[in-house]
Amino acid sequence: MGTSAIALLRVSGGDGAKVAQNIFGTTPPPRVAQHGDYHERGGGLIDDVLFTFFRGPHSYTGEDSLEISCHGNPFIAQKILEDLIARGCRLAEPGEFTKRAFLNGRMDLSQAEAVMDLISARSERALAAANRQLRGSLGKQMGALVDRLLGVIVRVEAYIDFPEEDLPPEDRGFFLRELSSLASDTDRLLATSHYGELLRDGIKTVIVGAPNVGKSSLLNRLVGRERALVSPEPGTTRDFIEERILVGPHCLRIIDTAGLNPSPAPLEKLGMEKTVECIEEADLLLVVLDSNDLCASVPHELNNDAARDKSLIILNKNDLIHNNSTVRQFPYVPHGISVSALTGSGIETLVEAISAHADRFRDGNDEESVAINARHSSALKISRDCLNAALIKLDVNTPMELLASDLRQILAAYGEIVGKVNNEEMLDRLFSTFCIGK
Amino acid sequence: MFQFDVIVCGAGHAGVEAALAASRVGASTLLLTGNIDTIAQMSCNPAIGGQAKGQIVREIDALGGEMAINADLTGIQFRLLNETKGLAVQSPRAQCDKKAYQFRLKHTLELQPNLQIFQATVTKLIFDQGKVVGCKTNLDLDFYCRTLVVTTGTFLRGLMHIGQNKNEGGRLGDFAAKTLSQSLLDAGIELRRLKTGTPPRLLGRTLNFNKMAEQKGDTVPTFFAFHDTRQSGDLFHVERTDENRLGWRPGCEQVSCWMTYTTPETADIVRSNLHLSALYGGHIEGVGPRYCPSIEDKFVRFSDKPRHLLFLEPEGRTTNEFYVNGLSTSLPFVTQHKMIRSVPGLESAEILRPAYAVEYDFAPPTQLFPSLESKKVENLFFAGQINGTSGYEEAAAQGLVAGVNAANKVRNAAPLIIKRHEGYIGVLIDDLVSKGTNEPYRMFTSRAEHRLLFNHGSAELRLIEHAVDQGLLTYNRIDKIRSKQNRILQWVDRLEQNRNNGSTWGEIIRREGIQTSLPEEFKKESKPIRDETLYRVSYQGYLMREHRQVEKLSQIEKIKLNSDFNYMSISGLRKESAQKLSEIKPMTLGQASRISGVSPADISILMVWVESGRGLRAQ
Repeated sequence: MGTSAIALLRVSGGDGAKVAQNIFGTTPPPRVAQHGDYHERGGGLIDDVLFTFFRGPHSYTGEDSLEISCHGNPFIAQKILEDLIARGCRLAEPGEFTKRAFLNGRMDLSQAEAVMDLISARSERALAAANRQLRGSLGKQMGALVDRLLGVIVRVEAYIDFPEEDLPPEDRGFFLRELSSLASDTDRLLATSHYGELLRDGIKTVIVGAPNVGKSSLLNRLVGRERALVSPEPGTTRDFIEERILVGPHCLRIIDTAGLNPSPAPLEKLGMEKTVECIEEADLLLVVLDSNDLCASVPHELNNDAARDKSLIILNKNDLIHNNSTVRQFPYVPHGISVSALTGSGIETLVEAISAHADRFRDGNDEESVAINARHSSALKISRDCLNAALIKLDVNTPMELLASDLRQILAAYGEIVGKVNNEEMLDRLFSTFCIGK
Repeated sequence: MFQFDVIVCGAGHAGVEAALAASRVGASTLLLTGNIDTIAQMSCNPAIGGQAKGQIVREIDALGGEMAINADLTGIQFRLLNETKGLAVQSPRAQCDKKAYQFRLKHTLELQPNLQIFQATVTKLIFDQGKVVGCKTNLDLDFYCRTLVVTTGTFLRGLMHIGQNKNEGGRLGDFAAKTLSQSLLDAGIELRRLKTGTPPRLLGRTLNFNKMAEQKGDTVPTFFAFHDTRQSGDLFHVERTDENRLGWRPGCEQVSCWMTYTTPETADIVRSNLHLSALYGGHIEGVGPRYCPSIEDKFVRFSDKPRHLLFLEPEGRTTNEFYVNGLSTSLPFVTQHKMIRSVPGLESAEILRPAYAVEYDFAPPTQLFPSLESKKVENLFFAGQINGTSGYEEAAAQGLVAGVNAANKVRNAAPLIIKRHEGYIGVLIDDLVSKGTNEPYRMFTSRAEHRLLFNHGSAELRLIEHAVDQGLLTYNRIDKIRSKQNRILQWVDRLEQNRNNGSTWGEIIRREGIQTSLPEEFKKESKPIRDETLYRVSYQGYLMREHRQVEKLSQIEKIKLNSDFNYMSISGLRKESAQKLSEIKPMTLGQASRISGVSPADISILMVWVESGRGLRAQ
């Protein structure tokens, strides 16, 4: 616990009212903040507090709950917590309130997950995305997908279940158009999965370069403290060092790696293999070169399109340059950012460049954007595979019942995200779309 | 005093299957009907089968029921529906001779050992300490039993409407069961109202078929009964062929149906007389089916549709009466007359019987266990339209299951419960007892989550273990089904393993379709074996996917819930869910998950309770 203006303690469960009665000698009316003194069981006054009682199911968790706001001194909050435990309460497990809210039907699964994201949100962006999800932006978008899919399903099912009816002629073109557009919408949502990961875990930023170009110094400079051991000896860093930092609105998971040596010693080689792996997984590469090494070039491990696309070239040790025109002498690195990890010069420019690069990960319009999590992503992938299978079937005129089987799988996969669509809803839609009945 | 093991009240499609099943598994059975001459009457259209229903009829045959064989032997036109939409959703359908159908079934009942038929109207049930023990009749005769099956169809407080005209009765010309409802209410059983309708019947010689399109039967008819696994003696289930029973060689001398359309004039007549319709005039409180709307509904709700398709279906070989499929209505007779004559081919049609709507009591089926026994009254079973269903096939299927289970209850045997992945009958009963229904419930293939497993040809193979466990088939037939099953499994293996020009036969079939040239030896097999083998081979990937899902779902089906468990005591369960669960008393967590209004969150909570072991202690 840290210091703050106020601290809030929440007691949730069937005995919420009893606990209030026990502490304050009164069962407060629901949803009205009350002022009172908090005495510990022994009788001593701990603090004067505000407390509010919520009667289930009209509370966050859906159960009776009591919220106590005390002064933000960690000692006071700790004392109250200890007293509550002495009165028979227990500490909540991480995320337990949200879990209870979910179990009590207070929120759907995607909302509950968003709350968990909110609790662990590491940057402004992540916070905004979690807030949007909570209000149901993913729910809304999925709802629209389900609705369009049902439009296709009711047609297919009508042809199967009512062959003797006077239905409009089968229109495979309509199916093709609708399913293709569902496929691209699903893709669009799927594409946010990486962005979602970036928001939750931070942008994986890897510092790479030849030995002794000052990678660890740069890490320390960005982190703002002596995180990594630095020395004039090349190869001081053997293991990766990882830190999280905020750059503008973004969270960076910044990783320092062992230097890439064109002719490594056996032990060094092991570290380098790991570095290469790290390069492949990186979202952003900070390629560090030594401004004073006139022959410096980008290590060959980074000389490919995939790596170049996510690289920022940093010309370090600019404090040691005597001639200002050195930068222009690097034919391979026209866009290098000149910095000194030692003095801090040029770091602001670098931070801006990192921030600008990180902005590229954002998905389109900020207001509508969603960031899906791993569970959403696996459900969407299944739906995408089934959409593909269905589209192939339309192409080769496979029997309707097999197309229907794929469509059901898609509906079930969408349902994993927004809740199951039961067959009665499908039938309702079918009977209101077609005049069925002999 | 007359004492039986099982009494069945009502001899419609549910009642006759219930009576046959109970007596065939060895219970002494009494079948009571208000009128022996209307046993197994087709009150609405003269047809058996169709989408999903055709599969149900084959499942009934696989469980030793009578509907399939009876429809085959009295069918006058056979068609396989959905030939182009895939193998699993192909459904057999037959037009039947109405009178031949019911008389042949009546004769079958008469010949059934262990079964007594008696004409009397049940007026009241007799209860003793919360159990049913018998019934009273209009003849002042009381009958006693160990278990009782109620199959009242549309007769419970049946009320018929033709415009403003009202008549009591469950069917035109028949009576209504007026007092039995009170008896059920007294026992604490909830009743509600439903409505259904039937179109007018026309005189064939006054119709001009030249103005209509002909619909012929299939040249190679598809039958409901599995004739390939029967010996001549098995054909009639009871092993005797010496009786001279009604019926003919299945598929011979088929007759045609005829198609025509309503006209803009028809629409005008309907619209300008809407206020006279019983339905639109507010005379009907019961809820009608969405899938079988009256012609009023069609013109009002789908006003952009210029015309509606009508089928003229012959009611038999020895009658000139025609059924007008698609023209169910509760408009007054005069309007019906005008409306009919606005249709091409029907300009001078004479109506033999008017269309009418009928309202009746049903007992919401969530009051039943999956065995179809009442949760409120022990030993009391319900089947057919009283459970809120519609259709002869749905009724017959429930009758069969209720009959077996009524007999099982007497001999203390475990009930017959068909699972959702085993057949449409499983889906039907699980839907009814878990979800209930607000309209007359009809089966659709889309109601089955594992539809691809339910091709009509596999019914025997899917249900063989139930048939064996319950003793529903002769030993001869069981042997034949088992050897058919083995033969199919062998062929599937051989086609998947043996190669032709580098590919396995299985790959060739999936690539080129089932029309491809196949090994000579395979072609010598019987058609049912070839069809099922090719079905399994060509749909291999899909069937595997279905089986995987069945496996996945079976985990939650295996979690048993105690029926007297106190759901109200689970904190965190929403109150309305707890109420639903207490009312429906699901047997498994799987069934609980299908109850409408019970959310996935509720299921998570229940699962937590079960896992934490707090779960399922009884109250």
